[in-house]
Amino acid sequence: MNKTSFHILRVGLAITFLWIGILIFKQPEAWGGYLQPWAAGLLPIPIKEAMIGTAVLDILIGAFLLFDFFVWFVALLGAIHLIIILTVSGITDITVRDIGILAAIIALVIDSFPKQQNESS
Amino acid sequence: MTSFALLFTLASIGISETVYLIRKRIASEKPICPIGDGCETVLTSKYNKIFNIPNDILGLSAYITISIFAAFLVIGVAPTFLWSFVIKILIGIASIMSFIFTYLQWRVIRAWCFWCLMSAFTIWLMGIIILISGLI
Repeated sequence: MNKTSFHILRVGLAITFLWIGILIFKQPEAWGGYLQPWAAGLLPIPIKEAMIGTAVLDILIGAFLLFDFFVWFVALLGAIHLIIILTVSGITDITVRDIGILAAIIALVIDSFPKQQNESS
Repeated sequence: MTSFALLFTLASIGISETVYLIRKRIASEKPICPIGDGCETVLTSKYNKIFNIPNDILGLSAYITISIFAAFLVIGVAPTFLWSFVIKILIGIASIMSFIFTYLQWRVIRAWCFWCLMSAFTIWLMGIIILISGLI
């Protein structure tokens, strides 16, 4: 990927993760409403606390992406996080855009993955 | 909330830009200058510090403060009037500083720095958003 394209994608995704984290912090119970009943039943902690944990994770992923630290690792974490979200909330009118975000963050993981050095001996 | 979302987005763009400049400065590398070739001239001029603090550090601090306080305002963390007041004061000061730095590039250094201009436009856009949201 072109260097400029990579940074535009990185910063764009960072803002998305940060902003979603803030919105979840604002109304954790409302965001918990997107959980499928079977997934909510599996939670060992109250939905509100689980959603606050999700908000913290989203903000951390966003902050690391924005500051350009450990991009491949946090992008991988973000991709796994999005797959879990799509699994536990199902694909609805709201979550359908997560597919696009998932594709974008997978592109970021692939592009930022540490390249294997050619060893010459 | 729209104005806070815009302020937060612009502050995040400012953070990524200043982090890039700080990392380049620490690594003693030339930053990429997408438009023109005056970035290095401006960034290494004697005007790149205020009270011995590099401008990129000051910019990063301002952007981080604005983004955190905009987030507080969205979440509704008290005292909201204080966060709102600090954001307005910070953007006001940063706008004035951006005018001064733009003038210095134009008339004194006689070179244009893409990143400095981008930061200036980001700050002025924040100022315009605050003015418009105050009028609506």
